[in-house]
Amino acid sequence: MNKLIELKNLTKNFEDQQVLRGINLDIYENEFLTLLGPSGCGKTTTLRIIAGFEEPSDGQVLFNGIEISKVPPYKREVNTVFQKYALFPHMNVFENIAFGLNIKKMDKNVIRQKVERMLKLVGLEGFGSRDVTLLSGGQQQRVAIARALVNEPKVLLLDEPLGALDAKMRKDMQRELKKIQQEVGITFIYVTHDQEEALSMSDTVVVMNDGEIQQIGSPTDIYNEPENRFVASFIGESNIIDGIMIKDYLVEFDGFQFECVDKGFEDNEAIEVVLRPEDLDIVEPDRAKITGTVRSVTFKGVHYEILVETSARTYMIHTTDFAPVGREVGLLFGPEDIHVMCRMGGY
Amino acid sequence: MKRLRRFLSRFYMALCFIFFYLPILVTVIYSFNSSKSLTNFTGFSLRWYEDLLSNSEIMSAVYVSVTVALLSTVISTVLGTMTALGLSKSRKFLREYLLNVNNIPILNPDIVSAISLMLLFSSIGMPKGYWTMLLAHISFCTPFVITSVYPKVRSLDPNLANAAMDLGATPFQALTKVILPMIRPGVFAGALLAFTMSFDDFVISYFVSGNGVKNISIIVYNMTKRINPTINALSTIVIVVIVVILLCVNVIPVIRKKKKNTENSYSKHRKRTYIGAAAACLIIVCLVAGIWAAGKGGKKTLYVYNAGEYIDPDLLTQFEDEYDCTVIYDTFESNEMMYTKLSSGERYDVLVPSDYMIERLIREEYLQPIQWDRITNKDGLMSEVMDKSYDPGNVYSVPYFWGTVGILYDTTQVSSEDISQGWDVLMNPKYKGNLYMYDSERDSFMVALKALGYSMNTHNEEEIQKAYDWLIAQRDTMNPVYAGDDVIDNMISGNKALAIVYSGDASYIMSENENMDYYTPGQGTNLWYDAMVITKDCQETELAHQFIDFMLRDDVALANTEYVGYTSVVASAYEAMQETTYAGIGAYVPDIHGANNEIFVYQDTEIKQLFAELWTKVKAQ
Repeated sequence: MNKLIELKNLTKNFEDQQVLRGINLDIYENEFLTLLGPSGCGKTTTLRIIAGFEEPSDGQVLFNGIEISKVPPYKREVNTVFQKYALFPHMNVFENIAFGLNIKKMDKNVIRQKVERMLKLVGLEGFGSRDVTLLSGGQQQRVAIARALVNEPKVLLLDEPLGALDAKMRKDMQRELKKIQQEVGITFIYVTHDQEEALSMSDTVVVMNDGEIQQIGSPTDIYNEPENRFVASFIGESNIIDGIMIKDYLVEFDGFQFECVDKGFEDNEAIEVVLRPEDLDIVEPDRAKITGTVRSVTFKGVHYEILVETSARTYMIHTTDFAPVGREVGLLFGPEDIHVMCRMGGY
Repeated sequence: MKRLRRFLSRFYMALCFIFFYLPILVTVIYSFNSSKSLTNFTGFSLRWYEDLLSNSEIMSAVYVSVTVALLSTVISTVLGTMTALGLSKSRKFLREYLLNVNNIPILNPDIVSAISLMLLFSSIGMPKGYWTMLLAHISFCTPFVITSVYPKVRSLDPNLANAAMDLGATPFQALTKVILPMIRPGVFAGALLAFTMSFDDFVISYFVSGNGVKNISIIVYNMTKRINPTINALSTIVIVVIVVILLCVNVIPVIRKKKKNTENSYSKHRKRTYIGAAAACLIIVCLVAGIWAAGKGGKKTLYVYNAGEYIDPDLLTQFEDEYDCTVIYDTFESNEMMYTKLSSGERYDVLVPSDYMIERLIREEYLQPIQWDRITNKDGLMSEVMDKSYDPGNVYSVPYFWGTVGILYDTTQVSSEDISQGWDVLMNPKYKGNLYMYDSERDSFMVALKALGYSMNTHNEEEIQKAYDWLIAQRDTMNPVYAGDDVIDNMISGNKALAIVYSGDASYIMSENENMDYYTPGQGTNLWYDAMVITKDCQETELAHQFIDFMLRDDVALANTEYVGYTSVVASAYEAMQETTYAGIGAYVPDIHGANNEIFVYQDTEIKQLFAELWTKVKAQ
């Protein structure tokens, strides 16, 4: 795959506030890349810099190797799907989708064909003469996607496009977006704060916080091998425990030593351990090193969320097994369930 | 019950509509009246419309009103829309600060804006006229456009412009293809507001225009002295125009919407281009015409400033033709207003103020001496009007009209015995609620002081206090109506038995209603003179003298006194009128023999303020 966009040491200041602190990122052709992070982390600003709505305070934006950070948005080969769609209310569906082509003064028949094709792609055949303000949220969303894609951009930017939809509709649209991306075969850069959305659609996930990139990786990497406490706690729920790496493949926490699959740390280095709640099993106390008392049980549908209080801390466990409040239990996990990461301050 | 409620709501609606539209209906009906009266409909006629079309002064005012309104609407709409768009993108502090500042001109009383603008134009030495009026209108229309466009802009999704640019539109295309179509209702509303504000503005226009440039409001205001049904004709035309515009504004979108379904977008686009082109042409025509109107000719120009309805306008044209010059003729409502404009540095060559004001202007050195050897018709002047106290030896002034103030009475209601009581008849309980006083502190205190046997120029506070008591007593026992120039029309219709009027107005009323007669009480009254003077800064001294000389010519003086109705200062005209038009109308001949008659002397500020305060109290209840 070829590099399409390179962000080099990008910073952005709004007045006296620094919202981007040196972003370095390579984006490839055909990639579905997601910028994931809590609100205010700089993900939307990064997207707007790629789109051309903001100019970086410092750093470079390369598109096919050419610096474009001073090129106005209407000269870039990218198109955007906005958070609240930003459809033009005074135009019907057809006119909205045809807007970009009309600006380019294309032949009327060509425009008609292209728009029809797009309407078909997003499943809105026959909606051309509808008033956009009378469409449902999902339909407006499809119009917004069609309006952007009809211009055949090299990159499609999507700024939290599903944020305004209900849960069911969001699931459907996730699938649909992935399908569309595969069909048109272009790069999608997707901004969201929803980790589930990010994990289920992306080829690459970029986790951001406080204007910095925390981790770049595939969804499984991000989930299974979080590089730090922030990523671990932001992606899914975790038990994060201070510990010491005795030596390669041996870690100590909560007063016990455990075998693990991690290596490459210094001997006796202070580290943090991530234990995913679904990786913990509740067993009889005599079968496990760590034991404690069940403090609460919440039914979550597929599983129970059980809080177990041990002498050192409270663990969160997701399990299909039931244990009543007050019972003494043991917590069991294997070496591959222990994820060791560098200890860092601040989180 | 339900039926009653429905009836009541309909009744209420009807009442509202009557309240709103009856005055307009009356105006429209009386514009077709064949006589001058505003109370008797004597038959259908189009004479007032003919008068209107042949009156070049009114037609040029219509031109000024329409072009100023169109230009200021277009310019302020563009400015205001740009500002609103800019504000929506600026920082919160700046935005709120500017929006608050923007409210000041809206909330400011017109008179304050008017005076400020007048002072501004004076201080930068900009000659007042078409352009100052246009600038002033733009300045007071723009805030209204901003307030009506801004909420629309704020309600837009802030990403709309970005979305357009994202799709390849340049910022200008994003503005014209996306932003403007969406805020169009706000822009239209702002433009409509601006147009109406500009079209019917009086106060600001009055103060910032000059050099003979007048809009409809100024003309109408100046014409109200003598009720002139031409105004009704003008008003009717304006109403028709407004109704047509409103119909267009409301009906066109409906038609367009219907058509939209049948037409394809291509021809619609083209049509919009045509409308734009047409609008642009209109603006250019207005501009060119405005420039033409502003800089007419290279002839000598004389600036004359006179009271409203105080000259036969044909005489101005005649003078222009005879002397190959342009007369810029302006009118004022009161001597005080004239003084304000003069002291603000406005250029005038010839003024026609009253006696006491001439005294003041001489004292404050606003005038230059008359070169009497240039006034060839000076021998025609009556000796009775010369060498009066306000300008001994007539060094600075040449008389124009003169007269007295007296009581106009209905001979069918007031006996000669009663009227011979003089001013005291105004206290006669027989006429309670049946008389008009003149709504002017000067004239009312003159009446009271004379009734008490004092001088009307007294400075004695005790006497003034007694006069005040007299006025209060008269107010409480007699229920008089304090009227302005509407008294003329009301007395022609014989609405009340007694009225205090100026002799010239009395002559006119008596010529229209033979039951009326005029009496100047032996206790004395105000003998007044209006005279022509030349300002110190006059730039056409020769032409100014020629104008004054022209006004004294026998035929001109006769035409003028016939038209205006006031008493001529030229002996031949004075005598001719008594034999013809005003034969037997005593009011035309001022009573110059009354031993107690006086001429007003210029009052210093202190005493003037005292009179003003007391008069306010008289009118307070």
